[in-house]
Amino acid sequence: MNLKLILVSSTLVNKIRIFFTRKGNSLLPFLVILCASTSGYGQMNISGKPGLMYVPSASETKEGNFQFGINYNPINYGFRFNKKNSENIYFINVTIVPRLEVNVNLLRINNEKINGQKGIGDRQIDFKYLILKEKKYQPSLALIISAPFGIDNSLTTNALVATKSFKLSGKLAAEVTAGLGSPYYIQRDDSEKDNYNIFQDLKFRKKKELAYYYLSGPIGGVNFKYANKGGLMVEWDSQHLNIGAYGTLFKRWTIQAGVINFDQITFGTSYALNLKTLPKRLKKANEN
Amino acid sequence: MKISTLLSGIFLFLGISPVFAQSDSTLAKRKSLWLNYENTTLDPLNGRIYYEQRLDRNPLYGLLEMRKSLADNNIHEYLPMFQGIIIGKYKLGSKITASVPTLEERQNQRIKFFPHPSRYKFDFWIQPLFSAVFGYRKQTLQSNTSVLLQTQFYLWQGMVLNAGILFPITNDMNSHPKIIRPAPVFLNQFYAFGKNFISASAGYFYNDQYGVNVQYRHTDMTNPWSFGAEAGLTGYYYYPRGGIYAGPLDQLFLQADVAYRLTQPDITLKLSGGQYLWKDRGVRVDFVKQFTNVEIGLYAMKTVNGATAGFNFAIPIPPGKILQGQNARLRTTDQFRWEYSYTRGFQIGERYRTGYALDQKLRQYHTNYLNSQREN
Repeated sequence: MNLKLILVSSTLVNKIRIFFTRKGNSLLPFLVILCASTSGYGQMNISGKPGLMYVPSASETKEGNFQFGINYNPINYGFRFNKKNSENIYFINVTIVPRLEVNVNLLRINNEKINGQKGIGDRQIDFKYLILKEKKYQPSLALIISAPFGIDNSLTTNALVATKSFKLSGKLAAEVTAGLGSPYYIQRDDSEKDNYNIFQDLKFRKKKELAYYYLSGPIGGVNFKYANKGGLMVEWDSQHLNIGAYGTLFKRWTIQAGVINFDQITFGTSYALNLKTLPKRLKKANEN
Repeated sequence: MKISTLLSGIFLFLGISPVFAQSDSTLAKRKSLWLNYENTTLDPLNGRIYYEQRLDRNPLYGLLEMRKSLADNNIHEYLPMFQGIIIGKYKLGSKITASVPTLEERQNQRIKFFPHPSRYKFDFWIQPLFSAVFGYRKQTLQSNTSVLLQTQFYLWQGMVLNAGILFPITNDMNSHPKIIRPAPVFLNQFYAFGKNFISASAGYFYNDQYGVNVQYRHTDMTNPWSFGAEAGLTGYYYYPRGGIYAGPLDQLFLQADVAYRLTQPDITLKLSGGQYLWKDRGVRVDFVKQFTNVEIGLYAMKTVNGATAGFNFAIPIPPGKILQGQNARLRTTDQFRWEYSYTRGFQIGERYRTGYALDQKLRQYHTNYLNSQREN
């Protein structure tokens, strides 16, 4: 009986130990705050695309990669009503086929001053196509386009970016992103009352005419990654210099924060899944 | 003293039982997997198994778990059915292959069906319904949400009566009273011959339309091409307090489509067109990606009433099986579909839904889809 008890308790202890070691590993980046992601899991930019804080990257994501989350954008850098409202941005990003990512995001303002001003929020669908995959001497190259069909696009991304990863030492790597954001955006000049043709009244507008804009002109940044556990970031979003950090827990859950223009704080969180991974039930049945 | 003997007995039992109970537990597992199936017929002479599996939208679950459940190496052909009709003949090798059942094979199964109407469980499932209009500033989210408890009665081969109860949760999209009422009640006949499939429905459908609807599709589970047509004549209905209102049958719905399944990347492109509800006419392009449990689509359409685009998805609602016995089952739906459109309220390319759409049902059985899931 004693023997049985010892056996049972030792397996229990083992399980607990395994649990703690896992947790320990995941908590490590929070202590070190150095961190990355080769699988595409990790830091998402303000509109929910793999990248830095505001700058999207061209890093490759696996087919079926599915990430959802929420980001907070501070009042002074508000896209919708600049200097009047801070914003929450909800997003889903799916790698629907290899090389093609679809991003759906919803921007909602906080503390609306006029009743009904907020609405359900601004919905936006963006596409990212990976033109080149990263190779030994070749950076990955991606084109990101916002579908211009929304009536009032305040959070658009039209950019060409390149990303290259450099191994620094052991688990430490630097992911460098550089690109060009379009100084123009497409606006659909319709009201809600005659919104029946999404291809109608599309007009090129200068971003400079907006109260606030970003990703207009040269953009870039570096993500210093520690394995797939976390990272430190610095970026130029075409208007401001921003710094930030993130950590990934349990391989799937990312928590991130940054300082915009050494002024106000942005933060967010996201969770990653893969829709192609076989569920346990199928995996078991497939093995037979 | 007594307690310690009891405890030691339990520990001893726990310690030893997994060793010699290995085969018992796999047997129990097989039996519990077997419970997921209905209308099963073993044909050891020809090495075949006929079965129906309503729990999961993805037929790969049914195929692979059947193989596991049988553990019989002599069975090498799997014939999954839908509403008692064979969809195809499948073989599970390193690749899944499919062939078309002959008329004789289909007739054989038909004969077997009649003397055993009780081969199906009483199957009840919980189905949420959600439609919404976004963006009117006065009321940002106008929605119509309800939960349905649904079931099906198998009348004869291929013929099913769909029925249920609808529990309303929210409704600020129209003035219909929020009363507990019948869920869509309609008959559906599914039929197959060669590579041709038909789904014919009559009754009270989803999206407030009643009438008749017939869908036809030509598809080979190994060929990338497929095409189909659909026709319907319906009218508006709803449940006022204490009755039912049904307007005239004035909606003619006519569609034709052609679809092509690419292998690299693994997506389906579909071009469809014709007349939609409210006499709107136009064309629509769909881009469909089928993942294991989730289907995601993007679409764009141009009609007389306007032009729009958006996305849609289909997901199963967890946890799936809630209670299951030999004769009855309670589960959550295997399919919740939702579509988002950039525009609203201009009657652009609108449609109603019957229980399942034939092309959505059949593309799940394509061998490329089944094989793509096992490539990981």
